[in-house]
Amino acid sequence: MNPKIQAFKYVLVLALFLSFQNIKAQSDPSGEKRVTGTIAIKNATITTTPGKTITNGTILIKNGLIEAVGTNVNIPREAQVILADSLFIYPGFIDGASTAGVGKFADPEKPSNYNPANPSDEMAGITPWRNVMDVYDNKNNQIYDWRKSGFTIAQIVPEGGMISGKTAVVVFGNQSSTNILSQNSALAVRFQGARGSSRAYPGTPLGIMAKFRDVYKNTELSSRHSKLFASNAGLNRPEINKTYEALYPVVDKNIPVLFEVSDDIEIRRALSLQKENGFRLILVGVSNVEKVTNEIKAANANVLLSLKLPDDKVTKAKMEELSEEMQARTKRIQDAYHNILKQASFLEEAGIPFGFTSMGAKSGDTFKNLRVMAENGLTENTALAALTINNANILGIQKFAGTLEKGKLANMVILTAPLLDEEAQVKHVVADGFMYDYEVKAKKNGSGEKNGSNGSVAIDGFWEYTSDTPAGSSSGTLEIKKEGDSYKGTITYDNPAGGGQASSEMKNISLSGTNLSFSFDVAAGGMSLVVNVSGEVSGDQISGNLSLSEFGSFPMNATKKPKSF
Amino acid sequence: MKKTIFIIAALLVMGWNPANSQTQKGSVLIKNATVLTITKGVLEDTDVLVENGIIKKIGRGLTASNVTTIDAKGKYVMPGIIDAHSHVALDAVNEGTAPITSEVRMADVIDPYDIGLYRALAGGVTVSHAMHGSANAIGGQNITLKHRYGSGNPDDLIMKDAARTIKFALGENPTRVHGRGNGIQPRSRMGVEAVIRNGFNDAIQYKKTWETYNNALKVKGATPVPPKYSERLQTLVDILDGKIIIHCHSYRADEIYMLINVCREFGITNIVFSHVNEGFKVAPELAAYTMGASVFADWWAYKFEVYYSTAYNAAILTQNGVITSINSDSGELIRHLYHEAGKAQRYGELTDEQTLALITINPAKQLGIADKVGSIEEGKQADLVIFNDHPLSVYAIPQMTFVDGVKYFDINEDPNDMRLRVAATESIEPIFLKEHDHKCMHGVDFFFTNFGRSLFDHEH
Repeated sequence: MNPKIQAFKYVLVLALFLSFQNIKAQSDPSGEKRVTGTIAIKNATITTTPGKTITNGTILIKNGLIEAVGTNVNIPREAQVILADSLFIYPGFIDGASTAGVGKFADPEKPSNYNPANPSDEMAGITPWRNVMDVYDNKNNQIYDWRKSGFTIAQIVPEGGMISGKTAVVVFGNQSSTNILSQNSALAVRFQGARGSSRAYPGTPLGIMAKFRDVYKNTELSSRHSKLFASNAGLNRPEINKTYEALYPVVDKNIPVLFEVSDDIEIRRALSLQKENGFRLILVGVSNVEKVTNEIKAANANVLLSLKLPDDKVTKAKMEELSEEMQARTKRIQDAYHNILKQASFLEEAGIPFGFTSMGAKSGDTFKNLRVMAENGLTENTALAALTINNANILGIQKFAGTLEKGKLANMVILTAPLLDEEAQVKHVVADGFMYDYEVKAKKNGSGEKNGSNGSVAIDGFWEYTSDTPAGSSSGTLEIKKEGDSYKGTITYDNPAGGGQASSEMKNISLSGTNLSFSFDVAAGGMSLVVNVSGEVSGDQISGNLSLSEFGSFPMNATKKPKSF
Repeated sequence: MKKTIFIIAALLVMGWNPANSQTQKGSVLIKNATVLTITKGVLEDTDVLVENGIIKKIGRGLTASNVTTIDAKGKYVMPGIIDAHSHVALDAVNEGTAPITSEVRMADVIDPYDIGLYRALAGGVTVSHAMHGSANAIGGQNITLKHRYGSGNPDDLIMKDAARTIKFALGENPTRVHGRGNGIQPRSRMGVEAVIRNGFNDAIQYKKTWETYNNALKVKGATPVPPKYSERLQTLVDILDGKIIIHCHSYRADEIYMLINVCREFGITNIVFSHVNEGFKVAPELAAYTMGASVFADWWAYKFEVYYSTAYNAAILTQNGVITSINSDSGELIRHLYHEAGKAQRYGELTDEQTLALITINPAKQLGIADKVGSIEEGKQADLVIFNDHPLSVYAIPQMTFVDGVKYFDINEDPNDMRLRVAATESIEPIFLKEHDHKCMHGVDFFFTNFGRSLFDHEH
């Protein structure tokens, strides 16, 4: 994205929220303030690690650590007691690679004598000295969103070019802490050309592969020179180069390379660089992985699979209406689609202890996508391992995270049903010993009657909504009219430019069962920001979310009103 | 004893490692065919026995047990066609960002899923030279592919025993991309020569620097400081040391002669000129100082520097003793190179053997693989095509194509959908109507803006 547009969007979002000047309420379901650091969660079904479950168990948390787990736990008097009968506790999820809360580094200035054939490392996207913590905002909404989906720890990855910088591991805890578990934990690398189109070197995978080899080899030589200089007299001084210096921990194999890859072809390219140079490797965002499982195992590489799944555009194709040729073609696309859903189970079958990454995924889809993967062969134990212990191992934090055991950091997710159950919702998340509570939606009235309720939902009419954001609450109206089989509507909202309310046309209004979704554009100064809304309609109520692409999503509730003319 | 066990164990483990797996080799007996050996004449009613990927025996009345036998009575068998200039099965063609990019390797960007490989097989092509584009004076290191379509592993396509080659380019493309596009050298034909000369001179210095360092290392107790490494310059050193064959994109006689002189000056003899539309003007020089010319049959006038050419080019070059091949530079032409070769015969009245050599043994010589492929001889690799008719007949259609004795194409077992993979979301994949365009300038077409489409529509 054009950085200018990006910056403008931030301003727009800021304006949108700063205009809601509500003071935050004193009671604290957000978990940011707490009465006591001692919490006891009683009578829950506790899965301490994949495959190990305690029924009617209690977890005692004290000052950020797990003090005890079991069926026979003494609860001290100062403890806040949470009755968790019928709830399910799992270790807090760990995100193998994330960009939640990660901002952008300032773009370097193009020098007047810029030569695209030989750009500076910075212009070429080679900035291994950068530390992602320098652009991390632990108050970013994305962190709330992912925590709400059960994530408590993440490896955050700097954005940028082919070697963008060093990652860090953070806990999604209280904002008053830096929340850093480790810094400079891995080197982020991707097949990304130099800035400003393919006209600067390296511009294609050809140049990227060659440039990576060049940088790596010269880092080794630079390191050798520095060591010689340190222990011998009569030598020329080494030329200090910040790219090479920042890569010493990689060539010394102290930290791994976190390589973003797309398909099997890119996996093979990353593996061949690894084979030539011998660095430790974590592959991020793999697909078509079934083609390369043997090679991955041979290289002893770690694997992170995205929680993102593609939209289903093909499985409901009306095959009988297609020609024979198109039927055959469509069948192949359907197979390809199912193949993507099976990636997790392919890794499981191959015995590769992979972890999940949120890269490219939406937080709200986490449980839904896990269920889809489970329908396609992923077992519950492996799913949980990929969310917890496997990522703890990959990130090297297994000593203090990844399971529910005495002495580990108090990170856990508390669900209303087992992990892969259709009804599972997040009720609480404990992150770094802080308790975060979430509203649980009422169960749907009999899942078997979904179709029957189709006709009974009427969305046409006049609605008033409020939306809660970290900066306060916003309100407005929806006016929806039915036209034939489709809907038209208008939404009003607090004008980001200031001065009362603005309105936009509601686009792509769709009602599927009781699920309503639509989007609208917020315009200001010639730019526009797309807001996606989705929610559950139940009688005169809509409860759902309002999502602003990369800025996160916020709860929204609407009530139907008789329109007063 | 323990050591032996260890070695055996290690071998076993490595044997099991699929990353080290061998490509498939086949056995087949083709009976009663007219065998066009290219190097040993035409053999009527002859059998060819292939064992484990190698041509074992050529003769009459051959038998073999447990081997697929194909009766090719009335049919013609020729060596697999070799395309000395192609961009099939590549994810990227031009690293068109610097005038010298000898460090980049086409082997890094092989796309094993490219349906173009299967189409080439259907045209009898078993080997193609997957080249870097012509945006840079010195482009990337090319890779010679054997069309073992199907595995999805790029490594399986690489002809491991082929010579190393590299792309050079003269004339309008590098001057447009770098000179006009980025305001750096080369902006003229003189600049292209200077870039190449400077490159070689830098390489000589680079070689000396490393030799000095490596010699210093041999002195006991010495602690020399390692110089910087440059794969770009090391590759140029390898060219100077005769380890790499240059394949140079070129059109005009003056620039061809220029590079011949530069190469003679630097002691380089491994050079093949590609396109070479004015090659007929410098045929004796090409014959004396190069490994030949790889040309189009009858394609020119698609831009200014290539207005002057002739359909007699291949014949004139051949008759002057230049090793000459006809290439495709195109995913479309690669499907009927036997027709393209036929055009050279139509105009220049070459013999059948001379004509078929243009797409078999001659390109093999230019790629440094003539001892392995390019003709039907005992001991050579079994890359073979069976045609229904003489391949220079206008009615010729390839029936079966074999690589290493394995059948990869059979016109009677040719399903509609031979794609190895499809996207999960697109119901109809985009079709590129301009597929027949030459791909030399692939990836840099935005440089054509404002230059007039009719003149620059073609991309080679």
